[in-house]
Amino acid sequence: MSGLYDAIRSVAARYPESRSAILPALRLAQQEHGGWLPPEAFRDVAEALELTPAYCRAVASFYDMFHLEPVGRHMVEVCTNVSCALVGAQQVLEAFEGELGVAAGETTPDGEVTLRTVECAGGCGWGTVVVVDHRYHEPVRPEDVAEIVRELRDAS
Amino acid sequence: MVRVTIDGQEVLAPKGQGLVETAASVGIEIPVFCYEPRLGPPVGACRMCLCEVEGLPKLQAACTLTATDGLVLRTARTSEQAAGGQSAILEFILLNHPLDCPDCDKGGECPLQDLTFRFGPGSTRMQFPKRTFDKPIPISPLIALDRERCILCYRCTRFSESVSEDGQLVAANRGAQSIIATFEDEPYRAHFSGNVLELCPVGALTSTTYRFRARPWEIQNVPTVCGLCPVGCNVWATTREGKVARILSRNHPEVHEGWLCDKGRFAYDHLRAEDRLRTPLVRVRRRGFEEASHEAALDAAEAGLRAAGSSVVVAFSGGETVEQATALARIVREGLGSDAALLPDDWDAALDAFRAPLSAIRDADVCLILGDDPVVERAPVVDLWLRAARRAEAEVIAVNPAGDVQAAPGSAAQVCADLREGKKVPTELRETAKSLKSAKRVALVWSEDDPTGGRHVGALANELHENGRAEVAVYVLPRTPNGRGVATAWYTVGEGRSDPPGEGEIGALVVSGDEAASDPRVADLAARASFVLTTAMFQSELTAWSHVVLPGTSYLEREGTYVNLEGRPQRLRRAVVPFGPDELEWLAQLAERFGVAIDPWAAPTAAEQADLPPADEFAWSRPDPQAPPGKPAGPGLELVRIGALFSGAAVERIPQLQFQRPAAEVELAHEDASTRGIAPGEAVVVTSNGTSRELRAGLNRKLRVGVVRIPAEHAKDFGDRVQVSRLSTGESR
Ligand code: SF4
Ligand code: FES
Ligand code: FES
Repeated sequence: MSGLYDAIRSVAARYPESRSAILPALRLAQQEHGGWLPPEAFRDVAEALELTPAYCRAVASFYDMFHLEPVGRHMVEVCTNVSCALVGAQQVLEAFEGELGVAAGETTPDGEVTLRTVECAGGCGWGTVVVVDHRYHEPVRPEDVAEIVRELRDAS
Repeated sequence: MVRVTIDGQEVLAPKGQGLVETAASVGIEIPVFCYEPRLGPPVGACRMCLCEVEGLPKLQAACTLTATDGLVLRTARTSEQAAGGQSAILEFILLNHPLDCPDCDKGGECPLQDLTFRFGPGSTRMQFPKRTFDKPIPISPLIALDRERCILCYRCTRFSESVSEDGQLVAANRGAQSIIATFEDEPYRAHFSGNVLELCPVGALTSTTYRFRARPWEIQNVPTVCGLCPVGCNVWATTREGKVARILSRNHPEVHEGWLCDKGRFAYDHLRAEDRLRTPLVRVRRRGFEEASHEAALDAAEAGLRAAGSSVVVAFSGGETVEQATALARIVREGLGSDAALLPDDWDAALDAFRAPLSAIRDADVCLILGDDPVVERAPVVDLWLRAARRAEAEVIAVNPAGDVQAAPGSAAQVCADLREGKKVPTELRETAKSLKSAKRVALVWSEDDPTGGRHVGALANELHENGRAEVAVYVLPRTPNGRGVATAWYTVGEGRSDPPGEGEIGALVVSGDEAASDPRVADLAARASFVLTTAMFQSELTAWSHVVLPGTSYLEREGTYVNLEGRPQRLRRAVVPFGPDELEWLAQLAERFGVAIDPWAAPTAAEQADLPPADEFAWSRPDPQAPPGKPAGPGLELVRIGALFSGAAVERIPQLQFQRPAAEVELAHEDASTRGIAPGEAVVVTSNGTSRELRAGLNRKLRVGVVRIPAEHAKDFGDRVQVSRLSTGESR
C-alpha cells in the first residue's frame, strides 16, 4: 500500500497543513479500494496524514460521495431534496427500484448497480436530477428510467 | 474595559471577555450545555444560552458573543422572548431524550435535569415514540455510552480532538443522524479518556466503575490530591459508606486545569484489593511468615534494627508524605545514627530559581523537552500543557530518540551541554539553538531519571537567563509522586548530609512502600542485608525477602503533605479510614523506642499556605556539571525502556484498566524494520542478555535508526542492546 501512501503525501504537500488534504486523500483511497472505504482505507489515510482512523471515518461519514459500504460498479443517485421532490422524484425513484429490482440504498445481486437517494445535487431548475456514474441526467421522468437502465446495462 | 448592560445592570468588562463570564461576574447566570472555555472556542451547538441582544432581530447564542462597548443583553430573567427561547430549546433537546432519570447515574447531579427544572417547559407536547438505540454501548471497559441520552453538545469529541488531541472519540454522520462513536467500535484507549465523563452534561457517558453504585444524596466528596504521579492533580474523592466510590477532578487552574489522567481517576479501588496486607507479618525461623500483633511486630522491628547498629540503609518510595519521610529520616539519622539512603528522585534546591506554575508552559514561546521518557507516561498532565502551548503557537521541541530532534538515547545531559556551548552546536541542534536564542519565554522539561538532580538543565536555564535574557521555567519531572518532598525531607533532617548505600554487608534495610519494594536496586540491597523491615500495601518478591512486614496505606487513606513537581506543597486529606494504623503512627511508635519523639498527627505545615515564589530570584551558583560519556556501541539495537503510566501495583489490581496497560510491543524505526523484512504488527523475537521474548512489531516513522523502544514491563532482564528478528525465519541481525 505504499503507492497510496506516496500518492497521499504528494497531495498533502500542496496544502499548508497536511490534514487539509483529507478529502482528496479519501477520494484516492476510495478509488484504490474499488469505490468504497473499508476500515483499512481509513488506517492508510490516517497514517499518511498523521491523523486517526476515527477522524478520517468521521469526515467520510459526513459526505455523500464517500461510501462506507461496498457499492456496485455503477452508481445511480436520485435527488430527493425539495425541488426534485416537488416535481416527482419519488416516482422516479420508484421507477428505478422497479427496473433494477432493488430498494434505494441497495446494490443489484450481480454487483452491477447501486441505487441511492441523495440530497440536492445542485440542478434544482431541472428536476428530477439523476446522477449516473457522476454524469447528470436532467430532468428525468419516470418514463425515461427504462432507457437509462438499458444504457447502463449495455455499457457494462 | 468596555461597558455592557445586562438585564438593566451596567457591567464593566475587559473587551473580548465572553458574555457568559461577564454576566456571571455580576451574579447573572446564562444557562449553558455545550459552552466550556477549556475546550477551545465556543461552538454554539446546543442553543441553551439564547438571549436577547438589543438591535438584533433574533435571539442570539450568548456563549458565542463577547463583551463590546454599548452591548445591551437581556437574559431569561428580564426578557420574555429569551425565556421562551430557552424553554423551547429544552423542549427540543428533550424530544428524543429518554425520561429515565430515576435509573440514570447522572440523576441528581445532571445539568440537563437542573436546567429543565429551572428554564424548561413543565411537560411535553410530543406524543410519538422517542428514538432508541442499543444501550449502553461500551466505548471502552471504563466508559459506557447511552446514545439515547446524548444531546450532541460535542463536549466529549471536542475534548478528544482539541485538548488531549487523541482523535479517537468522534461525531460520525451528519445532522439528526449524528452519533458519538469510536473507530470500528474499538475501545477509546487514551491516557485522558475519563475526562469526557465529567464533561458530558447528561447521562450519555457514564463510568463503568461507578454505574449504579451510588446516589448523589448518599455520598461525600472529600477534597484531596491525587498521589499517583508528580503532577499532584487536585481531586474530590467521592466516598460512600466509608469506601472510595469514584474520583472527580477539582480544578486547580495552575496545576491541571481540571483534567485528570485515567490512572488517577480509576485506580482508587486498589485500596480494596483482596491481596492487600492487613496484618503485620514476622518471619519466624523455619516456619516462614506468621501474622503478628502490632506490639510483637514492633518488638521484632526494634530488635532487628538494634542488632544492626548504625549499619542501616533506608530505601524511600517517593510516595511517602513529607511528614512520613521526615519521621523515617529522624529514626534512621537521629535514632540509629546512619545517613545512608536510596532516594527515588534527587533534587537540587538551586533549581528553585526557575520555579513556575505548570500553567506557565502554555505562555512560553519555546518549550524544550529533554530526556528519553515520554512526558505523558511520567507526568501525564504536563503533556496536556505542552499541547496547549503548541496550540497557542509555541514552538515545542522534543529532543529524544523519537522526538522532533532524534537524539541518541541517554544524551539529554550532553544536549544541555551542547546547547550551552553557543558556538559549535552540532548540526541537528542548530535550529533548536536558534529558537532558544530568540525566545523571550522558555519552558524546559526534563523527562527521565536524573541522578544529578536537574543540574544539567539548571545550567542550561542559567545560560538562557543570563545571556539570552529570557524568562525561564524549569520542570524536572520526578519519577515518583512525592519524590521532591521526600528528598527535601531527607536532606532537611540531615542538614544536607546523605551517604550512598555502602558496599558489602548491611545490618538492616528499611524499605518504605511498594514502589521501593519493586525497585531492582532495593532487591540488590536486600540480598546483602541481615535484617529487612518493609512497609507495603501488597506482597511482592521483596516482602518475601523481609523479616518484618508492616501493612502500608494509600494516599487516599492518609493526612499529610505532598510536594508536586512544581515544588508546590499540597495537602492530602484522609478520604477513608485505613483498617489499621497508618505509616506515621507506626513510625511514631517505633521512634519512641529509639528515643525520638514524633507527632503521629500530620499538622498542616506553614509552607503549605505559601505560594510559589516568583521565578525572578536568581540563585544559580553551581560549577558546570559534566555530561556523562555516551554508551559504547555494540551489535544489535539500542534499547530504550518506557516506564508506562498504566503500570504498577495499583493499576495491576483494577480489572477495567487492564486494556490500558502497555502492549507487548517493540517499536522499531522504519529503516530497521525494513532491513529485517519486518512488517508492522508482525510477531518478532527480541533477544538480549540470554533472554528471548516474543513481541509484536510496531513501526515508528519518527524513531531514530538503531534504537528500539519497549515498555519496561516487557523488557525485564534485557540488557542495553537487543537483537530483533522475524519470528518465522528466526535469523537475527
Ligand atoms: S455524549 Fe454527552 S458530551 Fe458527548 S455529545 Fe452527547 S451529550 Fe455531549
Ligand atoms: S433539489 Fe434536486 S437538485 Fe436541488
Ligand atoms: S451553550 Fe451556547 S450554544 Fe450551547
